[in-house]
Amino acid sequence: MRGWKPAPHVLLLLPAFVILAAVVIVPLLLSLYSSFTPFRLTRPDSIYTFIGFRNYERLLSDWDFWVAFGRTVLLLTFALNLEMVFGLVLALLVEKATRGQRILRTIMMFPMMFSPILVGFQFKFMFNDNIGVVNNALQSLGLTDQAIPWLIDGRLAFISILTAEIWSSTAVFAIFILAGLMAMPREPLEAAKVDGCTPWQSFRYVTWPFVMPFAYIAMTIRSLDIARAYDIVKIMTDGGPAGRTEILWTLIARTAYSDARMGLANAMSYIAILLSILFTVIFFRQLAKARQQIGAEW
Amino acid sequence: MDENAAHRVKRTVLKVGHLIGLFFAMAIICLPGLWIVLSSLRPTVEIMAKPPVWIPRNVSLDAYVAMFSGVGQGGIPVLDYFRNSLIISVTSTVIALCIGMAGGYAFARYRFRGKTSIFLGFMLTRTVPGIALSLPLFFVYARLGIIDTHFGLILAYVALNVPFTVWLIDGFFRQVPRDLAEAAQIDGCTRWQAFWRVEFPLARPGIASAGIFAFLISWNEFALASQLTRSTNSKTLPVGLLDYTAEFTIDWRGMCALAVVMIIPALTLTFIVQKHLVSGLTSGAVKG
Amino acid sequence: MNKLLAGVSAGVLVLVAGEAAVAQDMPGKFDGVTIDAKLIGGQQYENLYSRIAEWEEATGAKVNVISKKNHFDLDKEIKSDIAVGALNWCVGSNHSSFAPQYPGIYTDLSQLLPQEEIDAFVDANIDASTLDGKLVMLPRAQFDVSAMYYQKSLFEDEDNKAKFKEKYGYDLAPPETWEQVTDQAEFFANPPDFYGTQYAGKEEAINGRFYEMLLAEGGEYLDGDGRPAINSKAGVRALNWFVELYENKAVPAGTTNYLWDDLGQGFASGTVALNLDWPGWAGFFNDPDASKVAGNVGVVAPPKGSSGARTGWSGHHGFSVTESCPDKEAAASLVWFLTNEDSQKLEAGAGPLPTRDAVWEWVIAEAQGDDYRTEVLQAFQEAAKGAYPVPQTPEWIAISNAVYPELQAAILGDKTPQQALDDANQSATEILEDAGEL
Repeated sequence: MRGWKPAPHVLLLLPAFVILAAVVIVPLLLSLYSSFTPFRLTRPDSIYTFIGFRNYERLLSDWDFWVAFGRTVLLLTFALNLEMVFGLVLALLVEKATRGQRILRTIMMFPMMFSPILVGFQFKFMFNDNIGVVNNALQSLGLTDQAIPWLIDGRLAFISILTAEIWSSTAVFAIFILAGLMAMPREPLEAAKVDGCTPWQSFRYVTWPFVMPFAYIAMTIRSLDIARAYDIVKIMTDGGPAGRTEILWTLIARTAYSDARMGLANAMSYIAILLSILFTVIFFRQLAKARQQIGAEW
Repeated sequence: MDENAAHRVKRTVLKVGHLIGLFFAMAIICLPGLWIVLSSLRPTVEIMAKPPVWIPRNVSLDAYVAMFSGVGQGGIPVLDYFRNSLIISVTSTVIALCIGMAGGYAFARYRFRGKTSIFLGFMLTRTVPGIALSLPLFFVYARLGIIDTHFGLILAYVALNVPFTVWLIDGFFRQVPRDLAEAAQIDGCTRWQAFWRVEFPLARPGIASAGIFAFLISWNEFALASQLTRSTNSKTLPVGLLDYTAEFTIDWRGMCALAVVMIIPALTLTFIVQKHLVSGLTSGAVKG
Repeated sequence: MNKLLAGVSAGVLVLVAGEAAVAQDMPGKFDGVTIDAKLIGGQQYENLYSRIAEWEEATGAKVNVISKKNHFDLDKEIKSDIAVGALNWCVGSNHSSFAPQYPGIYTDLSQLLPQEEIDAFVDANIDASTLDGKLVMLPRAQFDVSAMYYQKSLFEDEDNKAKFKEKYGYDLAPPETWEQVTDQAEFFANPPDFYGTQYAGKEEAINGRFYEMLLAEGGEYLDGDGRPAINSKAGVRALNWFVELYENKAVPAGTTNYLWDDLGQGFASGTVALNLDWPGWAGFFNDPDASKVAGNVGVVAPPKGSSGARTGWSGHHGFSVTESCPDKEAAASLVWFLTNEDSQKLEAGAGPLPTRDAVWEWVIAEAQGDDYRTEVLQAFQEAAKGAYPVPQTPEWIAISNAVYPELQAAILGDKTPQQALDDANQSATEILEDAGEL
């Protein structure tokens, strides 16, 4: 390095700092404060009443809240893992294709182009027990003569939501893994071939370690990017029936706006944030580990 | 000879297997989407039929004609929404990419204290659920008077996308060997030139995928947009989708038609940008 | 104020003489005034807004539409505005089911408009728009109450008639009571291909349906002191209507996840015999491009419960003027203009139900010669007679959200109806206590 410039990394990071502080941190502090009040949207004065941890205490003993919490963790775990597997398979399939790469890659990202609201409606109509395509297809193929209540039975509804979620978001994994595959240097693979590795071995020991960081990035991004899942669940079942598919975000949204109990909803949000932080830190650790591995190989 | 033949057979089988796999994967991806496209072209009586009508009988562009025929004749201000969406998504993506490149480069190339925690801190800003954010953000925006403006939404989307772009671009800069840039600098390039001529092209797949990603997120974002926009000044297409719902009724065909209008630019842009993903292939050559 | 009154009373005089002059004299003059308005958006509602230009021309004022959103998002937005004190606009779209949630932000329109004008509306609609003695909104021609749609051919089929009579001992005819609906629904049901009826199964929708059934069974949702009283005998009877149909598979298995869109599409697909639904669907059901049952749709007034009263949960859209508006008279004039006879004719001509007596007569006269439209209007007019809004507590939506999961639990068999209603009553009471209303 020729000549000393005052802390270039500070300059480079400054814009990101400023914008995140303005748009996220400040509002966040406001909502943190309001979680200690009985704030109701329709009674603005209530924001000045301080009630300490009462909202939190109430939630700690609220069984329905914790069931929703557990279900959210379950949904996230299933969705993320399945999406990663499907995304990997998809990326490999597309990468191997010799012709039509551009088209294939574009199609691969097709689901990401649909607004989650629309995905919600579409899958709700598809899984409709009476006139939905899924039941109609099953019935006309003679696989069942029942109207399967896809969105009613707790487990089936979970699967239906999972399907919609996976359909709409697998592309995120696929695109990152594909980008990783493409950025991958050729030599190690060729070297592995020369050394007589089977395709599986060269995938396992050469390709996968290289691609893994990208998969983890995608995973973290997905685990954070909850809005998509919220819109879908909101329209498909809105947590129902009888709370069988209630997840944190539907519960929070209903409490916040429909019931107008913003204070309580913000307390829920902060507990939800803890969950997200947990997921993020786990993936982040794994990412660091994966990076170290490649670092060692280089 | 035999061995060769066996080898050939095996290759053919693998190839066919790959094609079949690819075909099925693409079919699963496309079908729900194509169903939406079809729904926009068919009368509702066919869409919601039981027994189902698989092959469309009456295809028409009525829904599209209605959409553009102006308020009062079943139309919605689709051009306004379209313009808003385009301005907001493109601007916020470009800004998020610039900030992301700066940040990503800093994380990948410089050593400084508290790097990991700062990095993690950036990511954690994304853990805040939109719901916890939307009202306080509205509060702040209302005070600043930037509700229902392009600027407000662009600002929000940049913040939404910056953690990702930083992270993703950082990941790609890390994969670019440090010695390449150093070599360039020894050859007489400034750091800036080294970045622009050597590192930037190599990180292009990352920047391209971050760009597509940021664009699609902004293009389809609904929760914040529904809170921060109000009129045709800034309402975006996803918010406009709800123009097709009334209190007790929904015009599914119209919604699907608007969805198709939304998809076309996204599809086009993705198609154009994804070719930059390919440039990653050349990295081996550059290195050699 | 005086200017407006003068203008309006002049208008009333002219009204007797001839209609042409009315639009010019009625709204008054407000040169240079700008009215910020938040209006409900969406195809069905926006046609009316083309009239705003006429009002601007007549009064010299300007309207600045600062927000156009769907019903639920507008509700969210207004709540957010209240929360941050951003009530610097004048006219807002409102709805009778949501209005009680915004106490105090809307001004009393009866102070701003002459009594004759208010009298011209249907009394029940004015009652539903009045909170604590304040007329907080003026109803537009977007009145909603449900009536019973049915597939005519099923009721005309001789074979069906004979079999039904044999099984139930009375003649098969479009239902007069909810008990008959149960019989007929079970009679027609042939799952998974065909269902007797269906009902909205979630959110405010199922709670509203339960509410009207409860009243038709002679129960009360909130008693005289404002305490929830849904776990009464009548409550259990009302809830049992939903539970039985579900248990006997006379409704689609997915019905507890249905909202209005699913119901409408379901009936239009021709797989449901009877469907209690809103007036907005009348045109859709009889449109051959949209519906398989087109040409085969009959409509009757909503059936009666065991108390002899018809179900009649209703709501209507309207416009309100904020308390903080600096030009209340101009704003009131705009609200009046958007709900006057010409405006209502414009809206009601496209299908929605009016809220002015004169316009009701007009639409019925217009429908002459169109048998289906006449049948629809007669059924809905009959329904409108027994219609009532939701209980007027600000906590109504919150109560709905607490009660509906319990109703679903009973329908799906997770709880007995009594248990579910006890639990629901408990949470509803807590909500009202928390809000300081009890």
